Amino acid sequence: MAMKAMLIDAMRCIGCRGCQVACKTWNGRKAEKTEFFSGPGYQNPGDLSAETLTLITYNEVQVNGRFDWVFGKKQCMHCNTPACAAACPVGALKKLESGPVIYQKHRCIGCRYCMLACPFEIPRFEYDSANPYITKCTMCADRLETGGVPACSKVCPTGAIAFGDRDEMIREAQHRINQNPSGYYHEIYGLEEAGGTCVLHISNVPFDKLGHRTDVPKHAVNKDTEQAMEAIPIVMLGLAALLGGIYMLRTRTVHHESDAPRADG
Amino acid sequence: MSEHKSATGPGGRLLYLIAGLGIVIALWRFANGIGAVSNLNQGYPWGFWIGFDILAGIALAAGGFVVAALVHIFGGERYHPLVRPAIFTAFLGYLLFITGLLVDIGRPWTFWQMIIFWHHESPMFEVGWCVMMYTTILFLEFVPAVLEKYKKTVWLERWRTYSPWIAWALVVLFTIALIRTVAWVVAVGGVLLLFQILVHRGVIRRDPRVPTLLIIAGVLFSTMHQSSLGTVFTMVPHKLHPLWYSPILPVLFFTSAVMTGLAMVIVEATLSARYLRRPPESDLLSGIGRGLWWALIVYLGLRTLDLAVRGAAAEAFAVTPQSLAFWLEILVGVVIPLAMLVSRDSVSSDRGLFWASLLVVIGLVINRLNVAITGIHAATAERYVPHWMEIAVSAGIVSAGILVYRAVVRWLPVIEEHQHADRTASGRTGAHGRPAGGSQP
Ligand code: SF4
Ligand code: SF4
Ligand code: SF4
Repeated sequence: MAMKAMLIDAMRCIGCRGCQVACKTWNGRKAEKTEFFSGPGYQNPGDLSAETLTLITYNEVQVNGRFDWVFGKKQCMHCNTPACAAACPVGALKKLESGPVIYQKHRCIGCRYCMLACPFEIPRFEYDSANPYITKCTMCADRLETGGVPACSKVCPTGAIAFGDRDEMIREAQHRINQNPSGYYHEIYGLEEAGGTCVLHISNVPFDKLGHRTDVPKHAVNKDTEQAMEAIPIVMLGLAALLGGIYMLRTRTVHHESDAPRADG
Repeated sequence: MSEHKSATGPGGRLLYLIAGLGIVIALWRFANGIGAVSNLNQGYPWGFWIGFDILAGIALAAGGFVVAALVHIFGGERYHPLVRPAIFTAFLGYLLFITGLLVDIGRPWTFWQMIIFWHHESPMFEVGWCVMMYTTILFLEFVPAVLEKYKKTVWLERWRTYSPWIAWALVVLFTIALIRTVAWVVAVGGVLLLFQILVHRGVIRRDPRVPTLLIIAGVLFSTMHQSSLGTVFTMVPHKLHPLWYSPILPVLFFTSAVMTGLAMVIVEATLSARYLRRPPESDLLSGIGRGLWWALIVYLGLRTLDLAVRGAAAEAFAVTPQSLAFWLEILVGVVIPLAMLVSRDSVSSDRGLFWASLLVVIGLVINRLNVAITGIHAATAERYVPHWMEIAVSAGIVSAGILVYRAVVRWLPVIEEHQHADRTASGRTGAHGRPAGGSQP
């Protein structure tokens, strides 16, 4: 199966939050008691949480000289090389070839390294539970398996969340920008961020205005880690040989010393 | 050392109180979730527990492998009296650190799943495996003290026969889990197997005191463990401040652990000598002090070079909370101790040595807290400041550790009496299990 992706177009979003509701319903997440202005704007709830896996951000941005509401969608980006999955010691987080980064909860030990590693600060932890798990968007991998599309994409009344092959979605995004070059901001968020992601955003305003981090590296963030991990066998072998060798050479020269056994460690 | 002081000694009651409070809070956390006792949040999933209990705790336990290697591999025979206390401290330290880990990770009862779900690309997987492997090795290195105390000569023999093979098996298992390439596994396992066979054949001299393979395995796992904690943070170039983020974090973590291990040996030997009312092993400790000085030089050199090469040095001169924390760490933990230890006099003075070493230890703790907390920046969350209950849990763990330490050094032959001036071969040959220390009236 080709790698799938979502294309989220802020120009088409009307902020109805139908996607938020559909997401909660499909994933069986509880409703939250929320307050207005607990986040940066009118968005509700204020941020992603252990119960809210996707969030429409409400942003008052100056567009062509007047203030306007622009809506962004916050959720897992389904990175091509996910830092969260590289970080997870038990492989609970896993990138599927079809695009989604899924969470196999029975494996998770709750170390929260995935949260630290994620450059988009997405995974959430159930801090209030005595038996806590990580929660995050899974691109509705269970729906994809049976040929469906993510719940949010399905429900969106304006078609702001397109879903299809990643290549196709990139072409579509470029097409939309080319069709309306004065309207769109000329970049695709997710094309290169953290080495490329399976969630792509286009918008009429720069992405940081929508609450997206624009300072994430353009390469997979675990590149230094990979190097360090590759050094393990070399260090192990080198050290084993070195220590053994030193001991051997040293004890040869003092062979005449007392050999009487002495019991201590 | 009279009996009426009981096993608690000075401040004993306070220690019990702090440890008890820690236990109560830990129980509360297990009933109500981590959120109930901590300020950890969605943007800052790691905080004081990771920084103090784990990053700092493990580095403080480095004395065990450093001294073991110094004596049993490199032949620094005169430091032998320091080996057992250092190994014991390391073992105890690891047990305490595991306790801290159980509080910090969300579902600690699933920790063992690392044994069945392998993900060898993850530095955390390496950390977890090192914890399990090295704790086992430390147990094996420490257990003779117990066997000697109860004169289990048969078991001591068994220990001598089997422990190297257990160590070998653990190294091979670790290599399989972490490396997953047959050639490497055969190479690492083969080198150690060859070593052990040569020992058996008598080609390599057998160390009559402790199987060398056990020591080698301990050094291997320690090296991997200390460095892997640094590797963990190589995953977050986007979150860790440039004063600390570096591709060579594993090397820096390892180097600073070695230096702190040495400092801990001095601190601990001085304190326990005071506690047991004995003069400290001054000449040995000043030898360690000179080693510490060189380790500090190496570490300072590495840090400076690293900052310069990455072009991050300017960050140190910006006035930010991070740069202040950085200078605190460098001055307290490296520069001031270096200055203190520069003269021969101060290295051989008990007091100077002790205070310099204590500063190194404090500086290391600041360094690890900087990496785990001060240096971490999450864009989308409020900042994290540790909750008092988080600190109370860690304080409880440390207090419990001190209580256990005091009880054990009075119970088991951990700290040798060096006053017996002639602790040369003749005084000790064949003296299986001379219970030193513990049996003092
Ligand atoms: S956005 Fe974060 S949680 Fe989602 S796949 Fe990427 S690294 Fe993992
Ligand atoms: S919290 Fe769970 S999913 Fe995240 S890294 Fe740890 S074990 Fe993996
Ligand atoms: S359902 Fe569509 S239009 Fe409604 S908030 Fe979500 S993305 Fe926007």
